[in-house]
Amino acid sequence: MNGPANLNRRHTVLVVDDEAGMRNTLVAILEHHGYRVWSAPDGETAFSAVQEKDFDVLVMDIRMPGRDGVSVLEELGRPPQVILMTAYATEDRLRAAAEANVFAVLSKPFDMNRMLSLVAQASEENK
Amino acid sequence: MTGSNTPRANSMTGKRVRRWPLRPLSVVILLVLAAVTAASCLITRNVVAAQERLILREQTAEVAAVVGSAFAGAQSSLQLLGQIAGSGHPHPNLFAAGARAVTTASTQGWLVTTKSGTSLKVTAAAGNGPVVGQVLSGAQSTLARRALSVNGLASGLVRDGGTLRLVFALGGAAGPGTVVWQESAISPTTPTPTGPTSPWHSLNVAIYLANHPDPSALVVTTTKDLPLAGGIQYPFRVGADTWLIVASSPGSLVGSLGQAMPWLVLGFGAVTAVLLTAVLETLGRRRDYASALVEERTASLRSAIAERETAQASLSRQEHMAAIGQLAATVGHELRNPLAVVMNVLYLMKVGSKAAEDDPIHRHVATAEREISAATRIVSDLLDFAAGRGPILAPVEVSDLVTEALSVVPPPDDVQVVQRGEPLVIDADRDQIRQALLNLITNGYDAMPGGGVLTVSTTAAPGSVQITVTDTGTGMDEKTRGSIFTPFFTKKTQGIGLGLAVTKRVIEANGGTIAVQSTLGEGTSFTLTLPVLAAMVSAPQ
Repeated sequence: MNGPANLNRRHTVLVVDDEAGMRNTLVAILEHHGYRVWSAPDGETAFSAVQEKDFDVLVMDIRMPGRDGVSVLEELGRPPQVILMTAYATEDRLRAAAEANVFAVLSKPFDMNRMLSLVAQASEENK
Repeated sequence: MTGSNTPRANSMTGKRVRRWPLRPLSVVILLVLAAVTAASCLITRNVVAAQERLILREQTAEVAAVVGSAFAGAQSSLQLLGQIAGSGHPHPNLFAAGARAVTTASTQGWLVTTKSGTSLKVTAAAGNGPVVGQVLSGAQSTLARRALSVNGLASGLVRDGGTLRLVFALGGAAGPGTVVWQESAISPTTPTPTGPTSPWHSLNVAIYLANHPDPSALVVTTTKDLPLAGGIQYPFRVGADTWLIVASSPGSLVGSLGQAMPWLVLGFGAVTAVLLTAVLETLGRRRDYASALVEERTASLRSAIAERETAQASLSRQEHMAAIGQLAATVGHELRNPLAVVMNVLYLMKVGSKAAEDDPIHRHVATAEREISAATRIVSDLLDFAAGRGPILAPVEVSDLVTEALSVVPPPDDVQVVQRGEPLVIDADRDQIRQALLNLITNGYDAMPGGGVLTVSTTAAPGSVQITVTDTGTGMDEKTRGSIFTPFFTKKTQGIGLGLAVTKRVIEANGGTIAVQSTLGEGTSFTLTLPVLAAMVSAPQ
């Protein structure tokens, strides 16, 4: 538990959330588990980051000021594996997420073990 | 006019059943008036009858007076004849001439008897009676001696062969020891014709020479129908004797109006009673109709007001719930982010802690995680309740779903879980039914703080499937059972009372029903009944 898994050392994750607390804790947890983690505070920044660098996994909040997570996904040509987070799990957004072909959708607050296992699966799939 | 009101009044109230054609009050009034009328009739009849008798008595007295004066005239004639005979110069021829002068066709004879020793001898005579020198005997002698003894007028009936004679004998008329005698043949049983001038022309009269109506003492009668029924008896004195007049009235003496008076009273009373009753009945029925109408209008007004109040209450409750729902959604969503962050921080504390395994900090972190989970569940309930989305229907295998739900919420250590039932498929929203089952299962656990058995069984019913969640927990009283589906009603120390409200809503949105049975101290059983086919599922609100 304490030791980062060597297997995951090379996997890269971009965490996108406008909430600094959420963003920073997620980064910390993922780094603790051996991922190389970048973060972005909004959709626009995330979009530019994904253009510049290939990430294995994108962990992104749906609802953000300015550009939201779903619209970012729609514009990305070949997106990485995406795990969407939402505090507003309403039907329309879930359906939009499903159409955007995401790896998973998690309702906030989520079980961290589940998040970690999803991130792990997504990185493996992206290989 | 009265009759037409009754059926309407009946149909209006719908409950009043008239067994009598009249209202009881009208019947009473009719009976009282009838009784008063009958009494008046009887009283009038008695008054008329008394008047009748009074008039009869007066007329009879009149008859008696006329008869008495006729007899007084006869006595005067006898006295005059006695003076002629007893003038000291007896002249039989003179007496005979005088007697003949007062003799009428009905007078059978005159005579004077003079007491001679112990026998009575006729000393002068006129007419075809006893002749001079004849000695009186028998009934004649008895009568003559009676006249002598009273020294005045005596009267009697003497049968002489086939002839009945009425005799007047005046004792002492021609000096001591003499009797002047007059007798007339009578035929008492032959009715005397009455004319308009007759004193008894309006009466039936019988006169007896006795003080009682003795048929053998009858002197004269106007009718053959003897004895006179219902008449009055009027005794009167003739000389030394008592005579009797019996009189009755063949017709009415008080006149036809008087006679008809009781019947007029009866008829008038009866008509009055019927009319008065009819008027009262009409007024009563009108009043009944009016009050029934007022009652009906009042009732419909009241129910309209009640309906409006209910509708208003429901509307305001709906508005209330909508506002609460909105608030719940906003608050719930806003709480989710901070809760998630705290969860993450707790995770970091846990994995980053350098503390030993048995350090209390791990226990504290675990406590914080549990509390955050509880808060998360409250938020989820709130959001479920606020969202209220419509069901997305798909075939669902029920016992499979039950197994899944039971695995999601593992029972406390002291609770045993029993699952029964065969695979059954229904059309329903899997997530919603799962949510409902989760709520019922966790409620069941919560109801058994001291442990127990939770049984979830699935059974097939015609057209539907029943899922029953039964606990052996504390149970509920009736008041609690009536409120459990009300939003924000809770008896738990944790939770905000939305679980069962949400459960009921989603079950109903899926076309099903939820029922509860509970016995205090024995446990509670919730039964979900869901249609196999979702054709009847109502649209989401």
